[in-house]
Amino acid sequence: MSFRKRNIGLSAGADRASAPNSSAQPQQAPETPETNPGIRPSPDDGRPTTSTGSRSLDNLLAGHGGLPIGKTLLIEENGTTDFAGALLRYYAAEGVVQDQRIHVVGMPEQWGRSLPGLIGPAEAADEKPSKRKGERMKIAWRYERLGEFGAGVAGSRAPTPTSGDQGQDAANGNQQPAFCHAFDLTKRLTHPSIANITYVPLARSNEPFFVSIHKQLQTAIAQSPPNTVHRIIIPSLLNPTLYPPEVCQPDHLLPFLHSLRALMSTSSARITAMITLPLSLFPRSSGLVRWVELLSDGVIELCPFPHSADALATSGAATSHEEPPQGVLKTHRLPVLHERGGGSDQNIGQDWAFTLSRRKFEIKPFSLPPAEGDKEAQDAAAPGGMPKKADLEF
Amino acid sequence: MPTQPPLPPLLAPYVSSLPQSSLTVLSSVLGATGNWLVLRYLYAALSAPSNSETTFGLNGSDGAKNRKVVLVSFTRGWEFWRSEAKRLGLDLARLTDKRQFAFVDGLSELFYTPAASAPGAPSPFPGATPRTVLPVRSQPGPVPARGPQPVSRSNNVNANPTSKEIGPVKRLHLSGSGVGALDALEREIAAVVKQLKTPTPGDVEEPEVLLVVDQPDLLLAATGPSKGIGATEMSEWVMGLQQNTHATILTLAADSPLIHNASMSAQQTATPLESEHAAFAIESAHRAQMVMQLRNLETGAARDVSGVLRVSKGGAWGQNDTGAEGNWEEREVLYFVQRDGGVSVFGRGE
Repeated sequence: MSFRKRNIGLSAGADRASAPNSSAQPQQAPETPETNPGIRPSPDDGRPTTSTGSRSLDNLLAGHGGLPIGKTLLIEENGTTDFAGALLRYYAAEGVVQDQRIHVVGMPEQWGRSLPGLIGPAEAADEKPSKRKGERMKIAWRYERLGEFGAGVAGSRAPTPTSGDQGQDAANGNQQPAFCHAFDLTKRLTHPSIANITYVPLARSNEPFFVSIHKQLQTAIAQSPPNTVHRIIIPSLLNPTLYPPEVCQPDHLLPFLHSLRALMSTSSARITAMITLPLSLFPRSSGLVRWVELLSDGVIELCPFPHSADALATSGAATSHEEPPQGVLKTHRLPVLHERGGGSDQNIGQDWAFTLSRRKFEIKPFSLPPAEGDKEAQDAAAPGGMPKKADLEF
Repeated sequence: MPTQPPLPPLLAPYVSSLPQSSLTVLSSVLGATGNWLVLRYLYAALSAPSNSETTFGLNGSDGAKNRKVVLVSFTRGWEFWRSEAKRLGLDLARLTDKRQFAFVDGLSELFYTPAASAPGAPSPFPGATPRTVLPVRSQPGPVPARGPQPVSRSNNVNANPTSKEIGPVKRLHLSGSGVGALDALEREIAAVVKQLKTPTPGDVEEPEVLLVVDQPDLLLAATGPSKGIGATEMSEWVMGLQQNTHATILTLAADSPLIHNASMSAQQTATPLESEHAAFAIESAHRAQMVMQLRNLETGAARDVSGVLRVSKGGAWGQNDTGAEGNWEEREVLYFVQRDGGVSVFGRGE
């Protein structure tokens, strides 16, 4: 694929920021890389993207290295765990650190106080062997600010110096600001702009329920300065402990999501959104949930392993020092890619497993472990060794 | 990987000749969306007249005809269609100026009107009704001269300055409930079609207008029987739209929860959303000449296949024997959408 036609002219080398991108919003792309460290052009087609606060989730999103502006990500979760909530907190914390405006729907202010604490740029927190940098092709230095194209594991090699310094130096602060940060779930985030979080309460008023939410979001976005980047966070949509029962009717919910989509697609606003949905209460086999999915740009399903599967999970780790996977992650739809027709991403068709640790939400390819209980069969096979060549010939 | 032609040869017979007053249903699922196919229809209809050497063969005598397209989209905005069409070499903004194309925006203000344009927004309905019954002949003078905004009425443009920044489009509003609300939408769309049909001085014959309605099932899902809109009303609405146009294309969601939950064999009883959606989709397929179904590979995702396209005859196939509908056969092919927007269509194993 390396000879794929790109829309970026080579002659634009003197001024990289003005590299033409025919597909994305052309009037936005030139200004974004300079003005806002939280937004960078997608390595795929140059449209502006922003980080989800979790690097491995960024890398999963169809080669864009982040969530494209104007797109919604729906995270569905089975069972009673709250892995999706952790992802939402990373997403919110990243927005706070990047000075973006956060709008949280239906959560009290305690939610904002429990955001995970900042460790530093994701690059620094990652304990990657530094020899990786030495092996890097020097010819690609121009593209280092961009995310790695179609990155599977490594992700963005964002603003580290090319001289082969240790990644730790990137945390010192005199470098370019990072695109994605690492957070610690056991600490609490303290940041001056944390007070900027807007909480949209789920209060009953004389208006229909979702109409008032939409109005509040709309006015909050309309009143902010024009260059602000917004993040809309809707935790646990339709959860009956938060939402009144009548809003589960499609004629309440779907117009709201449709209008949210309309709000995000206005070219002047720069908004991303993340929604979580409890699948145990609203199964994917129902028509309503399918419409919610159809109205979202990205759909990711988390299937945590039940507790009894701990034995399997432990052996699922490839090596002893790796953390065991805690569940399976399915991608049903990815932003931009599926809107165009889909299917050409190298991440598609992989089975993914996720691990949530104190410091990161990691998504790795999932593979079933070798059957460890099946000792006898393995022993039996061993002495025979490989079948002789003669046995195989006909 | 070689660059694909904008219209894959295997696909050409299916998208380039649509019989008179026909309905084509294009069904998609969550992981296999049909936007690329809609764009191929737009390309087949809009690009042919400009370069005359491609009009032989596939289009036959139709190639010389004056074709226009009205795209009504309920889930995607103007920006998406404009940028994606540009990848195919179609400049929708320029075609709009040339009055070959019109976009009707069913996304931006369908349910909630933005606060900024509130004073201008409620007016379209009262304004639209008398205007559509005006004799068409009275309009041709000013209309061609007003190039950039052909589908917006002049009072709308003044009242709503935001419509300029997203392009020359008409925005739909759903207000009220039941058949009345649908009728109002139908009038709005019909007015756009009629304006496009108004002969320009150079034209010899009446233009053929192709109407593409992208995901009208959203209207049904987001309103439902409790608001007085059910599958029957939707079908009548589509039928009303068909009357004004040469051919109509509907894109519908055909995910299994939306189709199969309503069947008798399903375990639990279907919700109204599911049963109405299934009824609307199935009825549309029965009334269609051609049904194009997009779905995922049954064997799991693959890196060089995006999905499966199945073309089959709809319930209305063969009802009018014009002969124009006989030049294609049912088949099932695989397709692959590349990152640059090119699409290759191939048979299994090819």
